[in-house]
Order: sequence, then C-alpha cells, then structure tokens
Amino acid sequence: MVFSSLLFLFKFLPATLLIYYVVPKKLKNLVLLIASLIFYSWGEPKYFPLMIACILVNYLAALVMERHRGKRAVLNWTIAAAVVFDLGALIFFKYSDFFISNINAVFGSSIPLLRLTLPLGISFYTFQTMAYTIDVYRGKIKAERNIINLAAFVVLFPQLIAGPIVLYDDVAAALREHRLDRQRMLEGVRLFIFGLGKKVLIANNIGALWTQTRELGFANISTPLAWMGIIAFSLQIYFDFSGYSLMAIGLGKLLGFDFPANFNFPYISKSFTEFWRRWHITLGSWFREYLYIPLGGNRRGYARMVLNTLIVWAATGFWHGANWNFLLWGLLFFVLISIEKKWLMKYLDAGKVWPHIYVVFILILSWALFDITDMPSLGVFLGRLFSFTGGSDWLYYLRNYAVSFAVAVLFCLPLVQKLYDRLKKYWIADVVILGGILFLSVAYLVDSTYNPFLYFRF
Amino acid sequence: MREFFKKNNAAVIVALFAAFLAVFAVLDAVIPDRERSELENRELAKSPALTFDTLISGRFSAKYEEYINDQFILRDFWIDVKSRAESLLGKTENNGIVYGRDGYMFERYVSADSRRISNNTKFIGQFCEKYGVHTTLAIVPNSYMILADKLPRGFENLDQRPLIGEIYSSLEGADGLDLFDALSARSDEYIYYRTDHHYTTLGAYAVYCEYMRSIGREPVSLDTLTAHEVGGFYGTHFSKTKLFSAVPDVITWYEIPGRSVEINGEPADGIYDLEQFGERDKYAAFLHGNNSLTVIRAEEPAETPSRILLIKDSFGNELAPFLACSFDEVWIVDLRYPEIPVSSFMEETVFDEALILYNFMNFAEDANVINITR
Repeated sequence: MVFSSLLFLFKFLPATLLIYYVVPKKLKNLVLLIASLIFYSWGEPKYFPLMIACILVNYLAALVMERHRGKRAVLNWTIAAAVVFDLGALIFFKYSDFFISNINAVFGSSIPLLRLTLPLGISFYTFQTMAYTIDVYRGKIKAERNIINLAAFVVLFPQLIAGPIVLYDDVAAALREHRLDRQRMLEGVRLFIFGLGKKVLIANNIGALWTQTRELGFANISTPLAWMGIIAFSLQIYFDFSGYSLMAIGLGKLLGFDFPANFNFPYISKSFTEFWRRWHITLGSWFREYLYIPLGGNRRGYARMVLNTLIVWAATGFWHGANWNFLLWGLLFFVLISIEKKWLMKYLDAGKVWPHIYVVFILILSWALFDITDMPSLGVFLGRLFSFTGGSDWLYYLRNYAVSFAVAVLFCLPLVQKLYDRLKKYWIADVVILGGILFLSVAYLVDSTYNPFLYFRF
Repeated sequence: MREFFKKNNAAVIVALFAAFLAVFAVLDAVIPDRERSELENRELAKSPALTFDTLISGRFSAKYEEYINDQFILRDFWIDVKSRAESLLGKTENNGIVYGRDGYMFERYVSADSRRISNNTKFIGQFCEKYGVHTTLAIVPNSYMILADKLPRGFENLDQRPLIGEIYSSLEGADGLDLFDALSARSDEYIYYRTDHHYTTLGAYAVYCEYMRSIGREPVSLDTLTAHEVGGFYGTHFSKTKLFSAVPDVITWYEIPGRSVEINGEPADGIYDLEQFGERDKYAAFLHGNNSLTVIRAEEPAETPSRILLIKDSFGNELAPFLACSFDEVWIVDLRYPEIPVSSFMEETVFDEALILYNFMNFAEDANVINITR
C-alpha cells in the first residue's frame, strides 16, 4: 500500500487512527503492529513470513547478547549471525539477479534469473534491524524484552516504505509513552498534508515530462527538450522522495512519534559535502555510524580513510539499486567530495553564485546517470545534452510544463517555508492552505493518470 | 470566538482534518456503487470477490484498489476539479490526449508496433490468396495526420504516411488505397470529430468516394440523401480527458431507405439504432455498434445482386451506409467479434468486391486481424 492512494487516505488511515486512539495504552502498540502488518502485506502477502522472521531473529539475537554481556565469543557470533541474516535477506532479494546476470556475462553461463519482486521496504527495515542489533551489541541500548514493541518498531507503517531510517533509540520512549498531544498532532497534520502535496501535486506533475521524454526516445528529441526532461526528473525525485519522507514524519507525529528529518532543502547546497548533509539525511547517518566508523573511519591514517570513504560511497550508490550505474553514481560523489575536501572547499565557501551553479549542474547530470540504467542509452542521452540538436518539440513541452517548473523550483527554496511560518499564525490562513492542498491532492488521486511508485527498487 | 480559535487552533485544525477523512470515508462506504460512468463512458470496477488464491497472489489487492478509485464518492466532481486545476497550470494534455486548436483533441501516439503491422499485413495477403476476391485495403490516417494546422505548436506525433506506404508496398494480392490526398483536400471541412477518434460521416463519405473511384464505380451524391443532425456528442477523447471546457460534436447521419438489416443472423431494426443517439455513446447508433456479422440488403435487389464484403473496425460503421447505396448487399465483418468466422460464409457467397477498412492506430494494434484467416 502507498500513502498517495485513496485506499490509504480514506480506508486504512481513518480506521487505524480511530482504533489506535480509542484503545487503552496497553493495546496501542499491538494495534500499531497489526495495522502495520496489514499495510506491509497488502500488495504481496507472500512476504509476510519474511517480515516475521526478520523480527524474530533480531529480537532473539538482542536478548541473547543482553544475557551474555560478558562473553565476547557469544556476543561476536550472535551479532555476526544477525547481520548475516539481515544483509543476506537484502542481498538475496535485491541483488541476486544482478550477480547472476554478471556471472553469466563473464563466464558465458546461463544461470536463469530469479526475477523476484522486491519485498516492500526491505532496504529500509533491514537497515533498521541491523542498527538495532548492533546498538545492543555495542551496549548503547538495552535489548527490548517486549516483542510487540520491537515488532511494531520494525514494521511501523509510516517509515516502512521510503524512510526516514529510524533508530530504535529514536522511538523506544515514544513506544512506551504514547505522546498524543494536540501540538504534535497539529504538526503531524501539517507535515502529512505538505508531503502529500509534494508527491501528488508537484512530483507527479513534473515527473510526467521525463516519462514523456523517455517515450519519445532519446534519439528523437531536441537538446532543449533533453535538458527539460532531466531537470524535470531532478525535481521529481526530490519532491517524490522528500514528500514521502514528510508524509512519514507527519504520520509518525499523529501516532505520537518524532522521527528524524530526512531532507533539508538539498538543492540550495553550495557543495556536495553540504548536499549529502541535506539529502536523505538518515541514510548518510546510517552509513557513517554503521559502516564508516566500524571500518575505522579517519582514525587509521589517510590512506585508510580514503579507502573507507570509497567503500561507503560505493555502498551508498549500490543501496539505491542493483545495477552498475548506481555504483558509478555513488562513486561520482566519492570523487566530488574527495576533491572538495582536498582543496575545492575553501573556494566554494568563498563563492556566492558559482558554487550553486556547480552543484546544480553536476547534480542534474548525476540524475541522468541515476535514472538511465543502460549505458548505451545514457551515451545517446548525454550526446543530446551536449551536442546541440535543434527542433521545435520543446515548445510544446515548455508551454505545458512552464508553470509546473516555476512552482517546483520555488518550492525547492526555503522562502516558501518562511512564508508559511508567518502565515500559519493566522489559523484561517492555515486552514485554507492545508485544506486547499488536501482538496486538490484528492482530486488528483481520483483522476490519477500518472502516479508512479519510485521506490520499487529501494 | 476569535479568542477561542486562537487558543485552540491546534485542536480545530486537527479536528477539521479528522472530520474530512471521516466524512468522506463514511460516505464513501455507505453510498451505493455505480454501474457505469456517463462522464467517462465506461463500466466502473465492481467489488472483487475475495478468495484465498486471489488474496495470496496479490490480485485481490490490485483489483480492490481499482474498485476503490472507480467508486470513490463524487468521482465526477473530483475529475472536474482536476481538469480545471490542470488548465490553470497551462497543461494542454491529459491522459494521453492533446488539446489542439478550435476544440480539437488528438491522441499522443509516438511509436507503432512494427511487428504487429507486418503480421496483420501478411494475414490480409493470406485472405486474398485463399478466396481470390478483388480486395482493397484502406487504412484511414488518424486525425492528427490530416488536421496539421489544428495541432499545438511544436507537438510531434508519429508520421503515419511512410508507414502506410510501407504496408501498401508489402501487401500481396490486394490494392492499397491512399487516402491522404482525398482527406487533405477537405481538411478545412468538418471531417474528423473534435472529441472523438473517428472521422465524421463527411470524412467517411470522402473515403467512400475515393474507394468507389478506385474500383471504377460511381459514388452516390450526398445531395440525394436526407441528412439528420444530432448534437451534444462527447466522444472517446473526451472520455479520457474529461476536459471541463470541451466543445461537443455534432453527428450527421443519412437516411438510407429500402434496406433490411440482419445482425448475426437476427433481423435488426434499420441501419441505425436511433435510440442510441439519445444516449452518451452516440457513435454506437451506427450499425447498432460493433457486431460479428451484419448484412444490409436492398429490399428490391437487381436480378444478380451486387455484393461487397466490408471487413472493418469501428471506422467502417459510418462508411457502411454509403456502401449500402452502391451495392445490393453489404456484408460487414468485425474481426474483433469472431463468433461467425469469415470462412463460414465465403464459400457459398459470391462477392464482387472486398474492402478492408481500418484506421491506422487500430491496424497497428489490433491482435484480431488474424481472424480473417479463420
């Protein structure tokens, strides 16, 4: 199930909230767990056992480690087993076909592909369970004895599909206290509606242009249209992803949780170092905490630090999809951030306008690398971008998308946020803005001719 | 009052949000389902049956979501809201339909299935070889090819002209009828509907005339026929876009007296289903819609009656009445409804001519042309 659907908005959400609010505190987490399991299993019931296994393995591993605190060997074996299970599930479901097709290509074998559908949210919840078990191993947090609480955390429907990646520490207290006060709920309503609007009104609207550009075929489009297309995708992926995160955070607040922020106006960055502090923040933190630091971080000399950074970026790229282009996409940021660290940063800090151009220009190209998974097509597309091809096709698309472009670019800037922060003091303005976005979003969902789900490969 | 809201603004907004969800959720669940949508001219999805198999395979979930969307409360109202919002955004396209000048709507059509086209062309060759009747293939270009001056600026669609040329040159045993010149010559007249993918009866008449000349016969003059007009026609393009400001079309139909009609062996009441002109789907009045085999016979035929076989998609429904003026018997076959196979009557019926009439998009997509060989 996805948030941007009538089924979620008018069946699942009202029913879940109603029951969750009405039942006594003792039962709230059980309600949350059952609702989340329904949400998770809705599209693909066959993966229900996988989720149960994932919960049980990590629950038990944490308990074992807690009991045998002093015994190094038990601790090490247990954490290894849990991580192998989590990572193994992720690799098996997400990367099997990638490895098989590469083995076939190299050795000329013909091992058949598995063609598994990716279990909903597996890239997110396996990272969350790994973080939980590793934190227990490190003694940073106590193992959760109540299996319902832990299960509710693992399958919690708001952040199940597309993050933010939540640590157990972030929600453990809320799972006990159920902080349902009106100020948090108001914030929840606001964030949810803004997220819905970002996804349904902006991302879907502008994303249609990139889809149409692809349908025309990269060999048949003019250079201006090629640029418009990839800029449209750059905007789509930001609004889609951040909109989804915002909806998750909003839903979290409606249920009494405070999830960490995931996006902070990434397109206004002046360097890629800054960009990755503003884009998918919880993923960056996860890799720092559970990969970079265990590898030794920057404490084992310069060469080792560069290697560690390389590994982290390769993993970050690969996490986004099982294909070579994602790996390259990750490595591109390794190169850029390394250059920035070595000498470019001081010039970027001093610059006013050109650092923004530098970031936006390279980002747009990086999104081409991200979304065009086969290399020959990418070559054709880059050819269109940089060797000028005339034509009048872009006139039609400019007329159709000019307003959407303007709206999308405007909403990439903190300006709109500041304006809203002023207006929301007047409750009528607040109601009109929120009501308007919700109303229009419902209209677009009813007649949804284009409502893609971009997270199928995450 | 103001003080109250100031103090309780959080509660008020949360309550309004909850009320919005609750009211629509409850009304949506309570209000009975609709069978079909007049606005969109289609059957709406029904509540799917829940079985263990459909649940586990995920098919139930997919069908159920479709059902929820189709039956959502005030569906037509929401569609209208979106249509207006899109027009504020300056969009000139929705759901694959592009808005041209003067209220014309066109399909977005950027690529054709070349394998399907070549297969369909081969099936026609097999038909000609099997029966030996003089056969003409007429592929009607879609409206955007002819009404180039109505297209929005910079809009490019697939060029059908070279593709139709290729079909005709690879066609074996039949003649290809080029219609570009005949239709382009009348491109400033009302030859295609604005809100529908069909040509108008005037467009059908132009195709008919071109065909008659190609087989050396004289077409009937329009002046000799009595015309009737039916307004308020919202066609298939409209059904997809649901554009709030769409300009409806006018259907002209011509009385063809002295003919009896038989559909799938049962007598039918005339060439037109006149009641259908009062309904939403007005195009279905022609030939009572699409049927497997329709035969139009002159009530007073010549001693050796002239016969034509028309194998067609829905573009043939508007053309058949004109053929009925020129032949004593018109046998009309729609291969998409194969209850009565072609082979079942070809042996004992002698045809003077066979005309295979498709619009280009349908010829490039239809998987039923193979039925011509069955």
